[in-house]
Amino acid sequence: MIVVFLAVLLPGLHWDQAPETASAVKQAAVERLYVPADQLTAWKKEGFDAQSFDPARYVKLPAPGVRYQMDVAAATSVPWVDANGWRFERGRAQNMDRQYYYSVPWHKSALAAAEAYASGVDAVVHPDPRDLTALGSMLAFLRSIDGPRLPALANIGIIDDGSAETGEVLNLLARRNLLFRVVQASDPALDLNVRIGSPEYPKAEAANPAAFATRVRQKLTDEKRLVRVYGSDVVLGRLEGIERQIRIHLINYGGGKVEGLRVRVRGPYPHGTLAAFGLSNVKVADYGASEDATEFTIPEMDVYAVVDLKK
Amino acid sequence: MYRREFLQAAAAAPVALAAELHQDVPKYRVVSRFQPVAHPGMPGPYGGKVVRVHAEKCIDEKSEKVDVPTVREMMAQGMQGLTGDADTRDSWARFFTVADVVGIKVNCSGAPGIMSTPEVVGEIVRNLGTLDVKPEQIWIYERFKNQVDSAHYDRYVPAGVHIWTAENDRGSILSYDPNTYVDVNFFGEEDTRSNLIRLVSERFTKIINVPNMKDHGAAGVTGCLKNIAYGDFSNVARSHSGYKTNTYSFIGTLAGVEPLRSRTVLQIMDGLRGVWHGGPFSPDRKFRFYPKQMMFGTDPVAIDRLLLDVIDDKRKAEHSVSVWDRSMTNVKSGYGYDDNPSINRFIREPGHIEYASALGLGIYDVHKIQARKIEL
Repeated sequence: MIVVFLAVLLPGLHWDQAPETASAVKQAAVERLYVPADQLTAWKKEGFDAQSFDPARYVKLPAPGVRYQMDVAAATSVPWVDANGWRFERGRAQNMDRQYYYSVPWHKSALAAAEAYASGVDAVVHPDPRDLTALGSMLAFLRSIDGPRLPALANIGIIDDGSAETGEVLNLLARRNLLFRVVQASDPALDLNVRIGSPEYPKAEAANPAAFATRVRQKLTDEKRLVRVYGSDVVLGRLEGIERQIRIHLINYGGGKVEGLRVRVRGPYPHGTLAAFGLSNVKVADYGASEDATEFTIPEMDVYAVVDLKK
Repeated sequence: MYRREFLQAAAAAPVALAAELHQDVPKYRVVSRFQPVAHPGMPGPYGGKVVRVHAEKCIDEKSEKVDVPTVREMMAQGMQGLTGDADTRDSWARFFTVADVVGIKVNCSGAPGIMSTPEVVGEIVRNLGTLDVKPEQIWIYERFKNQVDSAHYDRYVPAGVHIWTAENDRGSILSYDPNTYVDVNFFGEEDTRSNLIRLVSERFTKIINVPNMKDHGAAGVTGCLKNIAYGDFSNVARSHSGYKTNTYSFIGTLAGVEPLRSRTVLQIMDGLRGVWHGGPFSPDRKFRFYPKQMMFGTDPVAIDRLLLDVIDDKRKAEHSVSVWDRSMTNVKSGYGYDDNPSINRFIREPGHIEYASALGLGIYDVHKIQARKIEL
């Protein structure tokens, strides 16, 4: 198999504050700066290789995060998670060159940047001005992550009809860390292929996307899942890798730190290293690898963590 | 590094027996590196034996002030009655040595209204001291910090005794053993594991279980089994949803996990106070009552079987629905339960005690329980 290593692309900054804020933007060490067209010259004078921001070029995304909606997300206290990973997967299948845009409230820009980076998409973030430092810190962390992008890993194929119902199914699969790829036709290399509207997966069942996602999980079985996350309801994972090494991106949508996260990844990987945003000297703990799976604990994580596993 | 993992095969036969009691028992997967032992702490050397000590003056109902000398005498009589020794120290020495690291599993879910009474816990610690168990080898432990903080155990035990909680922040899994857990999917929840407190698997050599006498909205009652099971594992509240609770089979399954089962060697049920409705919490004093008794044994099933009658008799006396009531007309999930003893929050599962018996954790048949009552 020929493996294509993908370029690492850091999210850009859409900044519509006056050029007088240039020193703050410099401190944030932004690589790609997008400004209003009428400020372009002023920003260039400040030494920025800025580009004019054209909203028509981007797909606008909802702000990532969680909402605690009583009696909606689950019968217990499991919150509603707003995450865009499923949109990226769907978009990737439809148009490789799609670019995304986040305009997010205070405290959400680092999460937006991490989400886009973890999914390997081209995105621009428009933060609350008070968030510039936090966004700069996240960009610095993303820059520090070694290695090229590896191919995304999934073991469920979803044959997408483009409908809103299927979109919600994709959303809830991602919400449950059921890693899927949008495919045009069944892929025998995958553990499970799902065509909504087929006798096995009637369209009427997709009208209840939560139940449908549960059914997909049952069909796949938990033993075959590529990743499991224990200890948090609001951390979603994305896997990428090749045969001897994989990388797991973990995004915490909850807004607070997670104290203790147990992760199970399918397959034996005796060596693991952790990089966690905002935390230094944090290492994976209680590491164990069997023939079937690798497990480890992340003692603490903020918005984003990356774990590299090797054979 | 390859992790050794095995199912508790020795428990397979009792599980099959227990499953016959109830048809819709979830599929449990117990993962532990600890082998079952020939003579586990539960049911222990005194299977089916319960010594109940009642003392009218152990607590003043109005002030809730505890009479420490009476508690001391209750414990002496209870332990001697259990073991048959004439000297209390000899009774304790049957269970503990100077080398033991002892966990005292308190119950603080109703604190500060009701909890393992600090004076009772203090007396347990004092008795361990007579065996020269050092304070530093004694751990009073529970899951939630905010509950334990309100009990102030530190005022009743010598300096050096640890007062420890697993979750200083609710939901943290750091204090649980990642390699000892029960995996089960009740309602499609994503996190299907409940892990054992790490101190139990890595530090304690013995555990004393100190539950209260309480009604429980899901389990029917909460006594020895519920306290040692739900009180030693993470992520257990997921077993209830809507009107349905899986306490019927989950409690016994958790209590049977090694090494918890082997290391829990003594049950001291603190019934100075009790809760006859609204449990496990005690938000309203009108549902508190005063059994003024303690039960001693090694068999959690036998003690809990007697507890069932204590709670249900009290509920009957108060003209509220029985803990055995399964009528959906009385179940109003989320509405009125805390204030109305004729409303059930869940379909209660007091059958969890019989289920635990079928798992081999003790004697359920009341005719086979050797109950001895001592009146002070």
